[in-house]
Amino acid sequence: MSQDDEKRLVDMMADMNEEEALALARAMLERGFSPLRVLELCREAMDLVGKRFEKGEYFLPELILAGEMLEQVGAMAKPLIRTAPGAAPQTLGRVLIGTVHGDLHDIGKNIVTFMLDINSFEVKDIGIDVPVEKFIEVIREFKPQVLGLSGFLTLAFESMKETIAAIEAAGLRGDMKIMIGGGQVDERVRAYTGADAFGNNAMAAVALCRNWTGG
Amino acid sequence: MTDISQAWRPNIIGDRINPGFKSTLALLDTGDVAGMQALAVRQVETGATALDFTIGPRAREQPEVLAEWIRVVQAAVSVPLCFDYLDIPVLDVCLRTYDQDKALGRLPIINSLAETRWELMSLYELRPFRVMLMASERMEDGAGRPNRSSAEISATAKRAARRLVRDFGLALDDIIIDVSVSAVIVDTTGLNRAALDAIREIGTDPDLKGIHVSGGITNIGQQMPAKAGDGSDLKRQLECAFITLAAPLGLDTVLATPWHGLYALPEGNFVLETFRRILELKGSDALREVRKLYRKQA
Repeated sequence: MSQDDEKRLVDMMADMNEEEALALARAMLERGFSPLRVLELCREAMDLVGKRFEKGEYFLPELILAGEMLEQVGAMAKPLIRTAPGAAPQTLGRVLIGTVHGDLHDIGKNIVTFMLDINSFEVKDIGIDVPVEKFIEVIREFKPQVLGLSGFLTLAFESMKETIAAIEAAGLRGDMKIMIGGGQVDERVRAYTGADAFGNNAMAAVALCRNWTGG
Repeated sequence: MTDISQAWRPNIIGDRINPGFKSTLALLDTGDVAGMQALAVRQVETGATALDFTIGPRAREQPEVLAEWIRVVQAAVSVPLCFDYLDIPVLDVCLRTYDQDKALGRLPIINSLAETRWELMSLYELRPFRVMLMASERMEDGAGRPNRSSAEISATAKRAARRLVRDFGLALDDIIIDVSVSAVIVDTTGLNRAALDAIREIGTDPDLKGIHVSGGITNIGQQMPAKAGDGSDLKRQLECAFITLAAPLGLDTVLATPWHGLYALPEGNFVLETFRRILELKGSDALREVRKLYRKQA
């Protein structure tokens, strides 16, 4: 294997040549290439995909399909990674996410969960129509660095505000950052709910979490 | 292309009085009464038979401002308003302020009632109204559940419609079933296929004859690029693709920007044919087909 293979793998993944990229990754692993290095190359490709998304060259399908390629390569590589200390991939931080009470929408939340997961965050998704008490209970157990509140309906703004107020009243806000997303969320809604930030897409959520956790 | 309105005359609920549109937000922020009235008039002149109405979360804390904007719009147009709020105090202000005479005697519309928010019907004591009924979620065993299949959507529509007729005396003509159109870019579980099948099931149910069926078609192109692979306006074409398939099944109402134009796409149209293939796929396969909508053609 050569540096040429490394570049080809990154290019194939970033250019969405799924079958070729997966075949090359498999071949590299079978020939003894370092599985950690293969995963690192996949992350380089993901960074390129993310940059193309930010530039408007790529859209959500490319993000998700690239993430799925990363997952598949990960499934091939991880059994080969020795479990020696330091070899295990490190997470960038813990993120708790859920759709606030009164709202049953989950498409956006699921995409954000997936993108955070493949970007090395430990994500706990507690579903839809989540009562305030449930958020408080899980924050106490899971101790996330970031809380993501999702909602598509306009009624979600009120639920977000209520949830954040209850978290503050329970003394749990501390250093935990809160981001909101979904539907028509904007700066005005962020200010209304008391969240730290809002995101209009999954990559924005990843960027916020990276900024907050130093990832 | 054939103008679909020649054969199909939808009820268009104009969607522009919503601060989700930056230009509308600016009108609200600057208190531009003339601008808001011009926006209302433009929607009606381009085909809206009702106007969706929301000024966003500020309505909750500024009910007097909400009431004033309702009066401003009703002073300019005579179509009914469709109040796009889900909480009772805000809707209470909307319904008390609404002037039925200015709408030529026609009832206001509440957007959206759902089995999971049935408490909104307590407002019916205040005054009668028509309802937009969201059929994408249901109550089951005391908890709200999202509907994923056409059978779930149409069963919810039928159950809730019967309840409205039986308990409140609404006519089926006063009920608009919203089947929920999903953004094609995230529809990896067949939600749009389910919506189309549900429209067919509702449209062919003799017990629901006279009921209206709608979808928020603006959703379908969300987060998609502006241009399709063949250079056409992708978002508009996707809206038209959905309508081309849904209108013959019974879709008779749309929440949309009236001046965008609604027309049937001809057989063989690139976006229509790609959309048809997407409807038959799920998961990553659906996303790969979605990419074909905007990738440059060889």
